[in-house]
Amino acid sequence: MNRIAQGMVMVLLGAAALSVTVTSQLYLNYVQAGFRPFLIAAGVVLVVLGVATVVVDLRAARGDADEEPAGHDHGHGHDHARGPGVSWLMLLPVVAVFVIAPPALGAYTASTADPAALADDAAPLDDLGAGVPDGEPVEMRMQEFVMRAWTDQDRKMAEWDVRLTGFAVPNPEGEGWYLARLQMSCCAADAIVNRVLIENEPEPPKDSWWTVQGRWLAPEGDIQEIRDHRFEIEEITSVENPPDPYE
Amino acid sequence: MPERPSQAAVPAPSLGDSLSHGWDDRDDQQLPPSDWGRRAGPRRTATIWLFALITLGLAAGNAWLSGRLTGDAFLAWATIFTAISLQAIPFLVFGVALSAALTAFVPAEFWQRAIPRRAALAVPVAGLSGAVLPGCECASVPVASGLIRRGVAPAAALTFLLAAPAINPVVLVATAVAFPNQPEMVLARFVASLGAAVVVGWLWARFGKTDWLRPPRTSHDPDASRWRVFRESMQHDLMHAGGFLVVGGLAAATLNVLVPRAWVAAVADLPVVSVLVMALLAILLSICSEADAFVAVSFTEFSPTAKLAFLVVGPMVDLKLIALQTGTFGWAFVRRFVPLTLALTLVFSFLVGGWLL
Repeated sequence: MNRIAQGMVMVLLGAAALSVTVTSQLYLNYVQAGFRPFLIAAGVVLVVLGVATVVVDLRAARGDADEEPAGHDHGHGHDHARGPGVSWLMLLPVVAVFVIAPPALGAYTASTADPAALADDAAPLDDLGAGVPDGEPVEMRMQEFVMRAWTDQDRKMAEWDVRLTGFAVPNPEGEGWYLARLQMSCCAADAIVNRVLIENEPEPPKDSWWTVQGRWLAPEGDIQEIRDHRFEIEEITSVENPPDPYE
Repeated sequence: MPERPSQAAVPAPSLGDSLSHGWDDRDDQQLPPSDWGRRAGPRRTATIWLFALITLGLAAGNAWLSGRLTGDAFLAWATIFTAISLQAIPFLVFGVALSAALTAFVPAEFWQRAIPRRAALAVPVAGLSGAVLPGCECASVPVASGLIRRGVAPAAALTFLLAAPAINPVVLVATAVAFPNQPEMVLARFVASLGAAVVVGWLWARFGKTDWLRPPRTSHDPDASRWRVFRESMQHDLMHAGGFLVVGGLAAATLNVLVPRAWVAAVADLPVVSVLVMALLAILLSICSEADAFVAVSFTEFSPTAKLAFLVVGPMVDLKLIALQTGTFGWAFVRRFVPLTLALTLVFSFLVGGWLL
């Protein structure tokens, strides 16, 4: 890989980083929102360094041609002149971003990923109990609902009307379907799934987004042994424009 | 020259004639023509054309293919691969920039003065000073080779080589970001990595022989300007590390999508085997130490000690590092140094993991 190729690869990689953050919001499909400024800065550095590498090389080439026996040979035989062949692989993320433009993870991952593990030190979330107005449904993130269901030993939450938003995931084994949401701590590679099992509503197409209102069906027995919590729907509305794929 | 085709004699010239026409004009001139190798040169021109084609292909793919490809497993794989690559880019770029700045603007004599002469004392000092060189393992190999060339004891330089990619601030911050609710993981990584690096250094100081190391070559033009050293060192490190990072991302995304979760979970439950499996993964995946914490955290089924082994072994022993060390120091060195390092990183992962996690 010669210097011009190295410079061009850097420019393309930088352009890929800039295109998902500046000209589109695609980066939200892959990484946390907080990565935006760092991705932009890294993209700018890559483009500048790449352009500088190409310009310096072309100038050196012209210099060699003009003043034939140059003092020392630029590039040729120098340790840094040639990059390793493996550097060509840096074009793969560029291809992935521009040509594939992969969507956010969805039902496929949610049906194969692990359900979120309960942290050993998870404290019961009982701060909400007093603040719930009568008759008003409580808007909850899927993650919070699942956490509460796992720690609510007194089954207090079963008396609340809860509203959840997520996408439909088929249940490969047994009845019903899941309403799921993915939780990401840094990038899509560490996504874990939070989901509820729904049995009193016909299964919608997978990956379609819904807001559901209803109640937790509190299980019998040891609450921490439950794999999937059940949710009984009273009202279901389709979500036109899901804002952020992850929560 | 009677065999030369004459355009006047052939009423309808074929394609071959029109293509070969240009060659005929040069017949009586010198070969190769004197203007070849001038200006941009054929190699450079070909590269520019190649990239013009690549850019055109990307634009066409963007217009007609993007968002229309199907296949759940393939798209999930592509998403995870893109995510790992994108999230590693800032760490890679700024790590390499800082490393290049230290190479270009901090004279090697500074390290020589800062590190004591006695090996027993120099080793821990070198290990700790690894904490101030932000960079991944690709950067630390050339720096260590430069330190040896400038007269630092090999044992101290090797300790620095092992410690720098594992315990520098960029890597520790990345680890803290990847494990937001487990600050003890950052501490465990620091303690286990530094411990392993220092013990390897002491053993090398006691039993190592100088002729196992191939004398390093000079890689920088001595009269190059600092900015040129900075730019070239950044470009060099970026191209070397970037390609291997993509390899790691490909492998990690593939493992993430293809390997049956039940199988991984079954291994993850075995206390010792799971640690060894994660250590093996770290060696095979060869992920840059600035990004490995994000990959480690994605193995949600594994115990904290197994993840720690991934973070401690990866920056000190992995395939791309072995390749780099063989190229820099020679096989006689790698044959002895790599197994020693692997054994100690595993011992420290178990000890510190059992103690802190």
